Amino acid sequence: MAQISGVLQVLLIISAAPLFGGLIKKIKNIVRMRRGAPVLQPYWNFLKLLGKNEEVISKHASWLFKAAPYVVISSSVAALLLLPLFGGSAAAGGMGDIVAVLFILALGRFFMALAGMDAAGAFGGMGSSREMFISSLAEPAALVSFFALAVNAGSTSFAAIAGNGAFSVSSLTAGFSLFIVTIAETSRIPVDNQETHLELTMVHEAMALEYSGRSLAIIEYASHLRQLVWFSLIAGVIFPLPSPSGCGAALAAAAAVIFTLKLLALVIIMAFTEISLAKMRLFRVADLLMFAFIAALASAVLAAGGY
Amino acid sequence: MKIEDVLKELSAREEIVPVSIQWNAVEEAHLEVRPEDFKKACLFAHQKTGAPVSALFAEDMRAALNSFFIRCVFASRTESKWLIVSARLDGEAPEFDSLANDIFSASLFEREISEMFGIKRRGAFDSRRLRLHTEVWPEGFYPLRKDFKPPEKYGDTGQNYAFRRVEGNGVFEVPVGPVHAGIIGPGHFRFSAAGEPVLNLEIRLGFTHRGVEKLFEGKTAGSALAFAELVDGEAAFAHSLAFAGAVEKIRGVKVPERHQLVRAILLEMERLYNHAADVGGIATDVGFSFPAACASVIKENMLALNEKLTGSRYLKNFNRIGGVLKLPRSAMEAIGSGLAAAEKDFSALKEMLYGSVSFMDRVEETGILPHKTAVELGVSGPAARASGVAADLRADFSPLYKSAEFRPARQERGDVLSRLNVRVFEFEESIKLIRKFAGMLETGGEEEPAAGEPRSGCALGYAESWRGPVLYWVRIGENALVERCKITDPSFCNWEGLAQAAPGNIIPDFPLCNKSFNLSYPGNDL
Repeated sequence: MAQISGVLQVLLIISAAPLFGGLIKKIKNIVRMRRGAPVLQPYWNFLKLLGKNEEVISKHASWLFKAAPYVVISSSVAALLLLPLFGGSAAAGGMGDIVAVLFILALGRFFMALAGMDAAGAFGGMGSSREMFISSLAEPAALVSFFALAVNAGSTSFAAIAGNGAFSVSSLTAGFSLFIVTIAETSRIPVDNQETHLELTMVHEAMALEYSGRSLAIIEYASHLRQLVWFSLIAGVIFPLPSPSGCGAALAAAAAVIFTLKLLALVIIMAFTEISLAKMRLFRVADLLMFAFIAALASAVLAAGGY
Repeated sequence: MKIEDVLKELSAREEIVPVSIQWNAVEEAHLEVRPEDFKKACLFAHQKTGAPVSALFAEDMRAALNSFFIRCVFASRTESKWLIVSARLDGEAPEFDSLANDIFSASLFEREISEMFGIKRRGAFDSRRLRLHTEVWPEGFYPLRKDFKPPEKYGDTGQNYAFRRVEGNGVFEVPVGPVHAGIIGPGHFRFSAAGEPVLNLEIRLGFTHRGVEKLFEGKTAGSALAFAELVDGEAAFAHSLAFAGAVEKIRGVKVPERHQLVRAILLEMERLYNHAADVGGIATDVGFSFPAACASVIKENMLALNEKLTGSRYLKNFNRIGGVLKLPRSAMEAIGSGLAAAEKDFSALKEMLYGSVSFMDRVEETGILPHKTAVELGVSGPAARASGVAADLRADFSPLYKSAEFRPARQERGDVLSRLNVRVFEFEESIKLIRKFAGMLETGGEEEPAAGEPRSGCALGYAESWRGPVLYWVRIGENALVERCKITDPSFCNWEGLAQAAPGNIIPDFPLCNKSFNLSYPGNDL
């Protein structure tokens, strides 16, 4: 029963993932006095790209270029399976812990970076190099935050952390650190800019620049999923809920509503963060992520002290 | 040094015998020298006026005089006068000594003269073509010669363009363009980089060369005026003004003061909407989208005001030779309320930008164009004023602006912030100027635009557009048609300024540098 509800959760969340990207865009546009694209636009884009039969592929590209989108989307889905979303247990809860989530996501990124270089375009390589530079700084911060949370829960299992119930200061600090990591991981301002057309400034988009048609559809969907993984992680750890005892439908519905509200709050915070900042200079990103790392360390110290 | 003294000293000291010295109106001195003295005379004028080459161009007058002419324009800012040094070149095998080794600002002009007229340069250090790309344009076709016939076959010349190469361990090239992701003109940017830092940037333009100068030839002054507005759509009024200025000088027209005032107001209106857009553009390029949205509101309001005043959002078809059309009755109220709103919005925008740490961190110290480089390249307009060159045609040449106590903007550091500061300062200054001019306008009565006698001749017209000085050198023939029209847009020299400001920055900062210059593709690809 728990497995089924877990799988249902994942299916629901996979289908809802693009909605959050659309929402952030909509909020940003309303604040900027614009009407903006419909909230459902990411779905229409996905369907449009999926309907294309032909892809334009560089003649320098190898099999890797075609395979990478599938690896990327698989890694995002696999990471989602490990997360207990609405509370309760994850769909594949027993298979891996919170640290595994990080490494599964890293696998997708690794292939994306290879694909960026594979097409031999001028921008792909730059994107790959920047992505690896940024993630090499973001991952330690995420890892240390995870350990702080694990200390609080007494386990690295995600279900234990999210269902910890007790609210501690160190979780908040770790959540803050994770939020900065999320900005970097979801290519948002001030680290990256999803809305720009300036190839020379791109990070994540530069790697995907050579893609078209279905492959692009998959990569874009994978980005939506990855964003949701990070949002769910934060939602799960900052405001942990007691594990629901029993399996009542009402209880599950309530958990789903609370989870959605937490995600919406994150969406709004993210939208306003993006609106109120300018993108950083590329090498200043190191400072920001170093800050996230320090916050993570602080939360680990707090957690070790029992706060 | 005054031009009169330059001319005297030139013949006294430098052993140059002028072929002729003429004054065209009170502000334009024409000095013709023998071709072998041309380089020496230009160097002398360059040193004495301290000015870069404002324009250098050729004229095909083989039909009447069996010769080409080459003319070099210098501005004497201190006394508001122009000096044009000319030389008559042989009609069969035209040649002249390259100036570029000694006056770098002549370099691009020389390359243009060579490819457009087939005039050879002796001792030129850069023999590459500029806008007629070697890959597609065959040898031996010179479009601005009067007897030019277009080649029958384009492309596949088997030639390639030689980019400057940087070699070394880990150095790679990043080619960008000519097709870009944004809706902008085409230009090819060749970066040599080691990791993110840019070592060298070469910009190649000319992809949309339209033959504008050739198209001017054979037009009547009236239709050429309308055509001038199409040369660069963002600076339509400035171009129209510069062309009209040249024709008015040829015809000996004195533009009534009232019309001068309206022209000045509209020139500033053009500056307002463009500077607002540029400030917003700088914010957009660093992903600071809310201020960018506010800037586009200001721009739109200014365009709407333009339409109310002239019937055209881009101030087209309002300027005439000898004056302007009539402003509507409600013009003064519209200007008053429009400017008040713009001022309020702009100060809010300014506060947002200058108050944001993340924004200021991006613009400070980015894309520095050193003063010396700016001077040597002959960079002009806001880009030059941001690097400590306080040249501004309005302050230097216009009695009207002088009477309004106009002071040009000036910044020293030459970075993106300086260029932003210049624009912000000029935006606020333009509002003040328009108010002053509007106040002066209210007291005077209606005046008809001046009509002049159609006359033949040549003259230099000019206007300080929002991007910098626009020069039109126009010759009108006996048949009252344009025989030659040389346009110098500020972007022509400023692109090289951008190329020099980029090295030392990292690649992702280049779009910001580019936006802070915001140069024109059509103004370059004439």
